[in-house]
Amino acid sequence: MVYLLRRLAFGVLLLAGVVILNFLLIRLAPGDPAAVIAGEMGGASQEVLASIRERYGLDKPLLVQLGIYLSNVVRGDLGESYFFNRPVIDLILSRLGPTILLVMAAQLLAIVLGVFMGVLASLKPQGFLSGFVAVISTVGYAAPVFWTGMMLTILFASIFPILPVEGMSSARFRGGTFDYILNVARHLILPATTLGIIFLAQYARLARAAMIDVLGADYVRTARAKGVPESRVVFKHALRNAVLPILTVAGLQFGNLISGALLVETVFNWPGMGRLAFDSILRRDYPVLLGVLFFSAMMVVLANILTDLSYRLADPRINTEGRS
Amino acid sequence: MSVQETRRAIKPVSPLREAAQMFCRNRPAIFGTVLLSLIVAAVFYGTFISGADPYEIVWAPQAFPGEAENIPLGTDYMGRDILTGLLKGGGPTIAVGLSAALITVVIGISVGAMAGYFGGWADNALMRFTEFFQVLPALLFAMVLVTLFSPTLTTIAIAIGIVSWPQTARLTRAEFLRIRNLEYVTAARAVGAGNNRIIWRVILPNALPPLIVSATLTIGVAILFEAGLSFLGLGDPNTMSWGLMIGANRSYLLDAWWPVTFPGLAIFLTVLAVSLIGDGLNDAFNPKLRQR
Amino acid sequence: MAYKTNFSEGCPFVTVSQAKQKQTPGTVIEMGNIAMKFSRRLLLNSALAATILAAAPALSHAQDIEPGGSVVVVSTQAPRHLNPAVQSGIATAVPGTQIFASLLKYDENWQPQPYLAESWDVAEDGLSVTITLVEGATFHDGEPITSEDVRFSIMTVRDNHPFQTMFEPVSDVETPDERTAVIKLSKPHPALLLAMSGALLPIIPEHVYGDGQDVQVHPANSAPVGSGPFRLVEFDPGRQITLERYEDFFIEGRPYLDRIVIRIVSDPSSMVLALEAGEADILPFLTASQDIRRLESGEGLAVTNRGYEGIGAINWLAFNTNKAPLDDIRVRQAIAYAIDRDFIVNALHRGVSAPQRGPIVESNPLFNENVEAYDLDLEKATALLDEAGHAPDANGTRFTLTVDYLPGTGEQQQNIAEYLRSQLPKIGIAVEVRASPDFPTWSQRISSFDFDLTMDMVFNWGDPVIGVHRTYLSSNIREGVIWSNTQQYSNDRVDELLEEAAVENDPERRKALYDEFQTIVTDELPVYNINLIPYHTAYDERLGNMPEGIWGLMQSMDEVYWIEQP
Repeated sequence: MVYLLRRLAFGVLLLAGVVILNFLLIRLAPGDPAAVIAGEMGGASQEVLASIRERYGLDKPLLVQLGIYLSNVVRGDLGESYFFNRPVIDLILSRLGPTILLVMAAQLLAIVLGVFMGVLASLKPQGFLSGFVAVISTVGYAAPVFWTGMMLTILFASIFPILPVEGMSSARFRGGTFDYILNVARHLILPATTLGIIFLAQYARLARAAMIDVLGADYVRTARAKGVPESRVVFKHALRNAVLPILTVAGLQFGNLISGALLVETVFNWPGMGRLAFDSILRRDYPVLLGVLFFSAMMVVLANILTDLSYRLADPRINTEGRS
Repeated sequence: MSVQETRRAIKPVSPLREAAQMFCRNRPAIFGTVLLSLIVAAVFYGTFISGADPYEIVWAPQAFPGEAENIPLGTDYMGRDILTGLLKGGGPTIAVGLSAALITVVIGISVGAMAGYFGGWADNALMRFTEFFQVLPALLFAMVLVTLFSPTLTTIAIAIGIVSWPQTARLTRAEFLRIRNLEYVTAARAVGAGNNRIIWRVILPNALPPLIVSATLTIGVAILFEAGLSFLGLGDPNTMSWGLMIGANRSYLLDAWWPVTFPGLAIFLTVLAVSLIGDGLNDAFNPKLRQR
Repeated sequence: MAYKTNFSEGCPFVTVSQAKQKQTPGTVIEMGNIAMKFSRRLLLNSALAATILAAAPALSHAQDIEPGGSVVVVSTQAPRHLNPAVQSGIATAVPGTQIFASLLKYDENWQPQPYLAESWDVAEDGLSVTITLVEGATFHDGEPITSEDVRFSIMTVRDNHPFQTMFEPVSDVETPDERTAVIKLSKPHPALLLAMSGALLPIIPEHVYGDGQDVQVHPANSAPVGSGPFRLVEFDPGRQITLERYEDFFIEGRPYLDRIVIRIVSDPSSMVLALEAGEADILPFLTASQDIRRLESGEGLAVTNRGYEGIGAINWLAFNTNKAPLDDIRVRQAIAYAIDRDFIVNALHRGVSAPQRGPIVESNPLFNENVEAYDLDLEKATALLDEAGHAPDANGTRFTLTVDYLPGTGEQQQNIAEYLRSQLPKIGIAVEVRASPDFPTWSQRISSFDFDLTMDMVFNWGDPVIGVHRTYLSSNIREGVIWSNTQQYSNDRVDELLEEAAVENDPERRKALYDEFQTIVTDELPVYNINLIPYHTAYDERLGNMPEGIWGLMQSMDEVYWIEQP
């Protein structure tokens, strides 16, 4: 419990640091936010610029602005978007769901498929499936994710037009909840696969290594000698051994998943936070950008804490306090 | 473990030579080396020898590969030769990859070495600092840096370096923690070697093998990063690069697959080659892994 | 250049694959005075329309229309909010004109038509306009639309819209009764009627927007209470806008559609796919030639370039006329003579765009076709540069210029900038293309006069007073303001002509003033006009009554219906 509190406290500190760093970074960079806002309105005179500065508090000293921003953040107010004139928090919350859905689906796909492939590869190291695993792994590792997505788009847009390649649901869609879930699921297949492929290789490798380790171990030999079926050997003994490293990697991948989601969302027009971030960068919508940075950092921090916790739960022997 | 013990155990064979022999027996690694040599040669030709202009409109837009004699890979949406683009665009891509990896390694090793060697509060502070950089999704942070400070090859390389060093730092720290209490370090300290000397001349050389592997892999990651930024339109718009080619031709994907496919393939093969070499080095430096 | 193509000599203007006609009764073409001034294109299309209408009289019965159904519009343009009263641009205009009604509509012949205003009367002296509102019109919250709301809307637009010239001469709006508004002008303002149509004057409720909050950031901008045929159901910023039929719309039986969904898509090729797959029905503001060509041959799809006359979008090359050597008219002319407009239109744009030579688009009644065309003439260009005293150095280079372009619109902007890089060296001018990563960067450079040449896309917005004067008036050289006179062009005669034309109520005399203006600025070239931006709308051909007025989809879609539901 004390440990958890300490982790949380440190996480909050970390987030405060992230907010301060990014706030200063964005404000110190060249370019006048007021001019950006004026540009979005369709052009403006000096008087309009001055009134915009006043309205958004841009006329105050930088540190005062930072102070106001921080105290607002504490109260859950991330400011107002320059572009949409709406609370940043609303914009982000409406995009958070799709991103989490995409990231989780990709993660799940990568783990399930990766472990499956890793196990198969370890059982028959020279087999066809092993070769297949190797190929998929290298593609996942070495091919740019947006490129993989585009290749899949060509494949499923022109050659086998069976899966939607754009958006999260059909614009025309009207129907019940269940139909809607199906509709979203169909739209999810390509983006999640594209994002999942990057991480597939890692899980396959981990599973394979764990398997090879375990299959040579004495107790497995004993189990086999006793006539325990092979499938039981694999799933009961070997896989359990692979759970911890996979869990760790999965937790630590969270930041990378968000980075990857950013590209995948762009390719498949997935209405998530990544696209919001990208659009905000192009529009110089700094409040939204700050908000997205804050939220993604928060998600990473949370994922790390959860990983730590589940790690401790999975293996009580680990003394986290004593970790260096 | 590893190199140091190997050195003592098997006297007659130098560890480097042994590693080299291991590497040469590793077929994927050899394949990677050959592949990378070919790519580097082609890019070298494109950058320094060929006088072709990748921006020049040479033929009808979106000519199919081989449609005309001199355009084996076809043309892009403006009628620019894709092969020329590949040859010219590889330079910036690889240059950014290399310099970003260099920046990563320099920052990563410095921070990691300090933390691992001195330990205590220095370690604590430095590792907290590192964690700070790890909570921001790297690509997102790099995007922000690049946009705020205008996209040039230099800012892109720096941005990628800034977001990627934490892993190297952690690895370096772990190696330093492991080595700093080994006999020969204690011995060096006993004969009066200063901290500086011990860090750079005694520990670092022995920590190098995994760091070399990690640096190699970082090159691949940095190339992918550059491609991602360019694809999003945040690359240096005045420099032809593979990522830029993909990003620029993206809107025309449905009409012409080749202007997108070939640069992507080029990135894929380069990163693949680099990572095969990295894996090969890893196996060569860690003979224990041979059994796996 | 090894590249040759046989482009047909055919008229590039008519690209209406499926000529569709309005089914509302009434005169289709008034071959009057005004029609005589119309461009070749309008005459041609109108003639075509007349023939088809004559051939298919059965279609023109409103009784045949079966209401219902929904339409999905896809666009890459994300609106900031949905209130066109304080926001210009097409992104807000398309949903904005569905949600808010304007006083007038403008038909394809540039004639004002009644909409929320049942009738209007311009006083003899041109200093007041009396508007009578239709009876029984209500806002989406059920409150009646009164002359007070008209007054409030005009004043709001006058004081907040970036196009300040639209209602600048309005000194007051009197409201003698609920349905009558009298607009008082400080000087004659012939552009006024046009400024009351399309997205330029949405009638917004005073009881919502007049609550004292700053209208620029009013919360109701994103959750509007409208006056138009469709009411807002959901606005998901940057993603989707859902509109539904307003049951008590002031035109009986309209709108025909139940629902309009506007889906924002980041990537043009996704939009094309969505349309082909039947996931979307209307794709407006298409400019990429390969998309237009692809969709033209698409099964069950129609593609038209109608409905963009009002915005009159021009693609041009602007010169910094305050910076040597571009301060010399001869240098600007030399560059113009060195550019092959035919190559741009026919090869780079594959014939989908039309040449544009002067500052006013051809479909506008004020268009003057007798301006210098600057047909490709490299010898003349070279001679002009020699005369201006720019001798080539050993490498044949006289001087180097940079060219900027608006990011994000490849075919219209970047491609032409790239073309200049390979074309202008032929007359000894080296060109560096300076790319901007995003719009704010470009806009910052241009509006602070930090450029030599820049590509740009600028809209006429119907009346020159709204969209053309801003580029040429010397009083509009305003640092920091994009799409003002960033060329810093200054000519006393031009200032005089524009000021006179702005208050000239007589159409003939007004046209004469603009004719002279067009000749002068085409000779002096603060901007070199290249082409009409080939905006096209692709849509499911089962849709009837697609808006064909000068504002296209930036005017109400209340008449659109499904001939046959998908």
